[in-house]
Amino acid sequence: MKRFAAYAAWGAVALAAAFFLAGIAIHRGEPINSIWIVLAAVCTYVVGYRFYASFIAAKVMALDNRRATPAERLRNGIDFEPTNRWIVFGHHFAAIAGPGPLVGPTLAAQFGYLPGTLWIILGAVLGGAVQDFVILFCSMRRDGKSLGAMAREEIGRVGGLTALVTVLMIMIILLAVIALVVVNALKGSPWGTFTIAATMPIAIFMGLYLRYWRPGKVLECSVLGFLLVVLAIFGGQWVASNPFWGPVFTLSGMTLAVAVILYGFLASALPVWLLLAPRDYLSTFVKLGVVFMLAVGILLVRPNLELPAFTRFVDGDGPIFAGKIFPFCFITIACGAISGFHSLISSGTTPKLIAKEWHALPVGYGAMLLEGFVGIMAMIAACVLQPGVYFAVNSPAGIVGATPEAAVATISHWGFPVTSAQMAQLAQDVGESSLFARTGGAPSLALGMAHIFARSGGGQAILGFWYHFAIMFEALFILTIIDAGTRVGRFMLQDLLGNVYRPLGRTSWLPGVVGASAAIVLAWGYFLVQGVLDPLGGINSLWPLFGIANQLLAAVALCVATTVLVKMHRARYMWIPCIPLAWLVTVTFSAAWQKIFSPVPRIGFLAQARVLEQALAAGQIPAHKIAETQHRIFNERLDAVVCGIFLVLVATILIDSVRAWSGILRGTREASVHEAPFAPSQLTAEEI
Amino acid sequence: MRRLKYVLRIIAGLLRELSDQGAYMRHLAACGRAHSPAEWRHFCEHRLNAKYSRPKCC
Repeated sequence: MKRFAAYAAWGAVALAAAFFLAGIAIHRGEPINSIWIVLAAVCTYVVGYRFYASFIAAKVMALDNRRATPAERLRNGIDFEPTNRWIVFGHHFAAIAGPGPLVGPTLAAQFGYLPGTLWIILGAVLGGAVQDFVILFCSMRRDGKSLGAMAREEIGRVGGLTALVTVLMIMIILLAVIALVVVNALKGSPWGTFTIAATMPIAIFMGLYLRYWRPGKVLECSVLGFLLVVLAIFGGQWVASNPFWGPVFTLSGMTLAVAVILYGFLASALPVWLLLAPRDYLSTFVKLGVVFMLAVGILLVRPNLELPAFTRFVDGDGPIFAGKIFPFCFITIACGAISGFHSLISSGTTPKLIAKEWHALPVGYGAMLLEGFVGIMAMIAACVLQPGVYFAVNSPAGIVGATPEAAVATISHWGFPVTSAQMAQLAQDVGESSLFARTGGAPSLALGMAHIFARSGGGQAILGFWYHFAIMFEALFILTIIDAGTRVGRFMLQDLLGNVYRPLGRTSWLPGVVGASAAIVLAWGYFLVQGVLDPLGGINSLWPLFGIANQLLAAVALCVATTVLVKMHRARYMWIPCIPLAWLVTVTFSAAWQKIFSPVPRIGFLAQARVLEQALAAGQIPAHKIAETQHRIFNERLDAVVCGIFLVLVATILIDSVRAWSGILRGTREASVHEAPFAPSQLTAEEI
Repeated sequence: MRRLKYVLRIIAGLLRELSDQGAYMRHLAACGRAHSPAEWRHFCEHRLNAKYSRPKCC
């Protein structure tokens, strides 16, 4: 009877998932309420977790709670420590939740709410969560080894080295594109710029507080830091309206880019306790708090989605980024559905904290579903805006026109009515001088979040506070990724350079630190400046490059996962990682091919370079723009080369993996797994 | 009530882990040392350098 009730209950949840998915898929005309999307996602995730993830855990990986995990076997009280599964879940979620699932869906909303929403829901269940879960399992069975180490051991030396170079290159593109998101959000915004600038001295104050005044009191210090940041938001409003300080903090894109580059260099070279660590504590707590607030806000307000299911830009002519739904929607969403970077976390700190093997199920699979839900919330926040407003904020001046009149005329002509007065009022409400052409996704996401927060309480009067609170939240953790990423890039580079000249490999040797930091900062700074100077807003070329890189890293992780399953004699289940792998390879290779070779100049890097070259040859470029145009031609070709290198690197790993699989399946290659030997677990329930 | 206490304990535990305070307490217990500013700085040196040698997620 109990079993029948369980079947009936799960049948009802599955039917509800199908009902809500069908509802959002076939609904047209009037705006749909966001609760449909929330319920479609929640029901699908619950069914996926209960059946698909449990199947993988039980049948494919054969998780075994009697087997001691590395946290138990190698327990050292610091890195390796058996920890309560919900604490590991929160820790893992805090580590994987970055700006990707917020910005990606916001940008992908240019196709309408439906394509992105469906991909976030299905991609997370069948792809992203599977990747995170399987890699966590593999690392857990290998004493918490990193993805690169597992690639080297399981696939071969070529695979391992390729994975290392791929990660380094991907990080450079990632840092450039997220820095561009911050620059575009703060451009011409004294309120936002002051708030973010104030977080630097606040972080340094926190660093000194923790080191000298109240050592070890991180939570107390973070509360203090948060209060100071909120004060800085109010201070920013005063600064913006001050006749002296207002202009001082009104900065151009290029000035902001230089400031972010200098910041990245300093944060990479300074001791971590002074700036990086305190900022990271603050951003982690703010991030978790805001994600929770947004979920509560959406449930309280239940806003309608103003964007249609599909927009006219499914034809590939979108103003935010060019290209059709396939493949560009999927590489744009990136982290909300599947993210290669998660495999670095799943093979980093997390496997060293798992107390029992079955805890990997909620941690690896469950945390990714929650990340997918963050992507759903970002999609809702973007789609609650009037379509005209959404496109006015996100479209670059190079597409819609440099003046407000030209922009509203173009956007209204597309069928998304918007007026200059409406935009001016909105800008005034949020304390900005203009909201036109604020590309990058962050400002429109902040607008959507501010609307939801303001409707939850406080009304229009505090829209400006919430808008800048949301900008602060996005910029805070983006800057944390920039400084941590630059530092990690520096370590990787020093690791490589140490093979050439030994002192360069020492992370405490000052010339090595300064030189490697400068090299990494210059590498991502170059792409950042390229994005700032791009008349199409930079996002059009850099975000797809980032999406392709991120998804290719996921392909690398899935190659490792499949190899491990084949070696474990679970070849009959290799379809589980192979389905998302085949999809990712198809999507990323076709996107990369189009980005390099498409004859449409807005899509293809080489086509754009050709158009500029022809204009130069025909004398159509004014004399003062010739140098800039030559730079743009070089940059377009550079982007094409970078894209091509990504393809070659991942094709190398893929071919190496397929050779390994076929060798093992044909019996010509030994199927030796590199798992740690079985040791019985002694942990009792009370200990965890 | 017991359930609420459990949830609050988990939240407190999570906050301690995210702030590295949990790791610090374990470090003190493992090394048999008492808290002091110098000990915290020594712990941070190792903990933070290891923590920030890994990339953060996007």
